[in-house]
Amino acid sequence: MIKQLNYFFMAGFLILLTACSSPQKKEAGFEVGEGEPQGEQILPDSRTSKTVLALLDHARQAVNSGRLHNAESQLERALRIEPRNAVLWHYMAKLRLHQDRISEAVGFAAKSNSLAGNNRHLQADNWRIIAHARHQQGDTTGAQQAQNKVNQLKQ
Amino acid sequence: MAKRRPTRKRKPADQKQKKRYSRKKHNTKNRLRQWPHWRKTILGLFVLSVAYVVYLDIVIRVSFEGKRWALPAHVYARPLELYPGVRLSASQFNLELERLGYRYSYRPTEPGTYTRQEDRFYMVSRSFQFWDGNEPSRQLDIRFEEGRLESLREASLDKDLSLARLDPPRIGGIYPAHHEDRILVQLQDTPALLAKALTTVEDRNFYTHIGLDARAIARALWVNLTGSGGLQGGSTLTQQLVKNFFLSNERTLWRKANEAVMALLLEWHYDKDEIIEAYFNEVYLGQDGRRAIHGFGLASRFYFDKPVERLNLPEIAVLIAMIRGPGYYHPYRHPDRLLERRNLVLGLMAKQGVISKVQYQSARQSALGVIQGRKSGASSYPAFMDLVRRQLKEDYREKDLTSEGLRIFTTLDPWVQNTVEETVKHQIKSLDRQRGLNGQLQSAVIITNTTNGEVLAMLGDRKPGYAGFNRVLDAQRPVGSLMKPAVFLTAIEKHRQYNLLTRIDDAAITLQAQGGTTWAPKNYDGKSHGKVALYRALVNSYNLATVRLGMQLGFEAIENTLHRLGISKPIPPYPSMLLGAIELTPMEIAQMYQTLAAGGFRTPLRAIREVMTADGQPLQRYPIHIEQTVDSKSVAVLTSAMQEIMRNGTGKGVRRFFPDTIELAGKTGTTDELRDSWFAGFGRDYLGIVWLGTDDNQPIHLSGSSGALLVWGDMMRRLQTQSLLPIAAEGVEVLPIDPESLLVAGDDCGEQVKLAFIKGTAPDRYAACAGGGQR
Repeated sequence: MIKQLNYFFMAGFLILLTACSSPQKKEAGFEVGEGEPQGEQILPDSRTSKTVLALLDHARQAVNSGRLHNAESQLERALRIEPRNAVLWHYMAKLRLHQDRISEAVGFAAKSNSLAGNNRHLQADNWRIIAHARHQQGDTTGAQQAQNKVNQLKQ
Repeated sequence: MAKRRPTRKRKPADQKQKKRYSRKKHNTKNRLRQWPHWRKTILGLFVLSVAYVVYLDIVIRVSFEGKRWALPAHVYARPLELYPGVRLSASQFNLELERLGYRYSYRPTEPGTYTRQEDRFYMVSRSFQFWDGNEPSRQLDIRFEEGRLESLREASLDKDLSLARLDPPRIGGIYPAHHEDRILVQLQDTPALLAKALTTVEDRNFYTHIGLDARAIARALWVNLTGSGGLQGGSTLTQQLVKNFFLSNERTLWRKANEAVMALLLEWHYDKDEIIEAYFNEVYLGQDGRRAIHGFGLASRFYFDKPVERLNLPEIAVLIAMIRGPGYYHPYRHPDRLLERRNLVLGLMAKQGVISKVQYQSARQSALGVIQGRKSGASSYPAFMDLVRRQLKEDYREKDLTSEGLRIFTTLDPWVQNTVEETVKHQIKSLDRQRGLNGQLQSAVIITNTTNGEVLAMLGDRKPGYAGFNRVLDAQRPVGSLMKPAVFLTAIEKHRQYNLLTRIDDAAITLQAQGGTTWAPKNYDGKSHGKVALYRALVNSYNLATVRLGMQLGFEAIENTLHRLGISKPIPPYPSMLLGAIELTPMEIAQMYQTLAAGGFRTPLRAIREVMTADGQPLQRYPIHIEQTVDSKSVAVLTSAMQEIMRNGTGKGVRRFFPDTIELAGKTGTTDELRDSWFAGFGRDYLGIVWLGTDDNQPIHLSGSSGALLVWGDMMRRLQTQSLLPIAAEGVEVLPIDPESLLVAGDDCGEQVKLAFIKGTAPDRYAACAGGGQR
C-alpha cells in the first residue's frame, strides 16, 4: 500500500515538474492518497523569474532520469534565488516524499504554508502532503486533522 | 671421514638422507672454518648486500606499483550565480573575477579572461564540473546597473541567458602533514615538448641509459673539477625520482649508493614512459604559503592558469627551468634569474634540435607569462575551514580527506567573509583603544543565510588569517540577555495567558540559589520600573521582569523552548539561567537565532553543500533540512518586539548605520562586570552573531549596546542587508499601540509602537488619543 502510494507520488512529481516548466501544456493533477479528491496542479506563480523556471526545468530533467540528488541541488539553487517562493518549498516537500524521506517532507510543506499567503490551493496541497506523511508514519489522528484542513481549504 | 660411513646396518632411506645432509653441512662448516677471515667478511658482506638489494627491490615495487599520491581535499567557496536581477555590483563582480584569477585582457578569447568597460564586462568563463553537471565555458556579456546585474547575454550566440555560474573560488585544502598538493596528469595528456624539454635539460640520455648514466656522471665530475658551468647534473631523471620518492635530501655516500641501486631496479621493472609520468607528477615546483606545489599539472594551473596540455613553448621552458631550484628561480621573487635560465633552457633545446631556430628566437622574446597577483590557494579562512573539517570528520576518515583528492563544495561567501573581516579589523581596533584593552579585546563572528542555514562567513579571532583558537566554535561564554527571547517566546506561545502587552512586575526579587545561598538580580540601570508591558521588558532588557516572568513559566517550559530553538546541551535549572548564566558558543547562539530568523523553522547550520570525488563523480550531498519546532505565529509576535528593540530599545544604536526605513530584529547581551558583549540579529537575508570579550575573562567595559552592536551594525550596513518584510503570517495582525494606555493607537496619537498579536489576543479598544471605543 505504502509502496503504491510512493509510486503514485513519484508519477505525480514528474508530471508536476513537467507541467511547471511547460506552462502551455495541459495541467495534470495528482493525488496524495487513495480515494482522495483530485488535487489541483500547483504551478509557479507569475512572479517566478525565468532563472528559477530554468532551474525547475533542470530539476524536471533530473527527476526524469532518476537523478534525485541532482533535482534536489537544482531546487536548492532555486530557493537561494527566491527564498520566499512558497511553491519552491512545496516542490521540495514533494521531492522529499519522492525520496522516501517522509518526515522531512512535513517541514518543507509547513514552510511552504507559512509563505503561501492566500494561495488556498497550495495550502491544501501542502496539508495533503502532511496528511500523507502522517498517515505513513502511523499517526492516524494527525493525518485526519491534516485531511480536515485540506477539506476546509477546498471549500 | 670414511670411518663415519654407515656400514653396519641398513637404515631407512630418510635417515640416510638426513645423515648425508648433515655430513655435507659439517663438511662445509669445516671448509668455512678453514677460510681466512677476509674471505669470510667478503662473503658475509655479499650475502648482506644481496639481501639488502632484495629488500630495496621489494620497497621499489611495492611503493611504485601501489603509488597513489596523497591528493589533499580541495575546498571551494560557493560558486557565484549570475542571473538578471541578482544583487551584485560591478565592483563586487570584479573582485570575484580577481579572486578566481581571471586575467584582464584587451580581447578576451581564452577561458579565464575578461575585459571591462565601466559597468559592462565581456568575459570567457571557465568550464567546471559541478555536482549537478558541467557548466560549460561561455563568452558572456554582462551589464550591471545600480548594484544589480542588469543583463546577461551569451555573446557568441547573441542571446539572453537566464543563468550562468562561475567556477567556485578555491579557499583551501585539507592537507596531509607535509602539505603536498598536486593535480595528477597522464603522459599522453601532456604536450610532447614537455618530455623532450625535460630530458634535454635534465637527462639527455634518459631513453638509452639503464637508470645511471656514466657519461653524465663523468661530465658532472669534470664540471665540478674544472669549475666550468653547465646545465646538466650527474643524476638521471630516474635517480631524481628515486630520491624524491624514497630518500631524504642528505648528501651522503650511503644515500647516493641507495639511489643508484634503486634507480637500476626501477629501470629494470618499469618502462621509460611509466618513469617519466611518475616524474611529471612528483617534481617539486614551488611553494604557495604552506602548500607545496608538486607536479606539472598543478604547477601549470598555479603559474599559468591553464591545464598542462595547453602549455606553450616558453611556458614549458619556465617550468623546466624551475626544477633546479624553485626557490632560487622563483617567478615572483627572482623573475630575472628565472628568465635567464628559461632562455638557457630554450637555447639548449635549440642546440639539441628539439626546437627550430625560429621557435627559439620567438620564445626568447616572450615574457615569463606567469600570472600576477594570484590569491593564495592556501586557506585564508581558518575558522571556516575548521568548521568544514569538523563537519567532514563526522563522515570521513582523516586519511581520506588528506589523500583521496575529494572536492568539497562549501557555503562560504568570500565577499561576505571579507566584509566581516574588514569591519572587525576596523571596529575592534577602535574599541580596544577606546577601552584601553592593550590589544586583548577578542572577537568571534558568524554570518548565516536566514533561509537555509548556510554559514556564509566566520571569524574566530580578531586577526582574520590567524588559525588559533576558534572562538565561534569553542569559546563557551555566558550569554547574558541573549537568553531573554527564549523566555518571552515561551510566554507568547501561551497566548491565552500572555501577549506583548501583559503587565509584568519589574520589582526587586530575591531567590534561593544553589548551596543555600540567595540570588538577588538587578537591572542594568539598578532601578525597578514597576509594572511594565511584556514587550517593554524585552525591548529595554529588564532583568527583574524577565526573572519574574521566567519563574511564572517554569524552567522546564523554557528549557523545552531552548531545545526546540536548537540548543542541545542541558540547561541548568537555576533562576540565574533566565538571565543567561549559561555558557554557549557563538555557533550555538547562531543556531538558536537561526530558528527565530527562519520564522520558527529549525535548520541545522551547514558549511558544506556537496562532496565529489577527485574525478568529478558525485559522492555526497549535505541537503537542507527544516523542521517546524516553534509556532510561526508566536515567532512573528516575538520578532515584532525584537524589531522594537532596534527602533527604541537597547539596539537603537544601530540606527547610525541604517535609515529608519530598514527594519531589523535583534537582541543585545551583556554579562556581569561587562566581561562579554554580545549581539545577535537579523535582516531578511543575513543573520549575524557578534561576541566581544577577552580570553582570560577580563572586564572589557563594553555592554552589548556599546560594543558588539556597533560591530554588527557596521557589518550589516556594509553587507547591505535587506529590510525585514512586514509581518504577514497567517493568523497574526500588526497594530499600532499607544505605549501609555497599551490600547490600539490611531493617527492622532503621538508615540506609538508597532506590535504583532496572534488574532484574537490584541486589545479590543482604541486608546483615548485614537477616539476610544471598541475596535
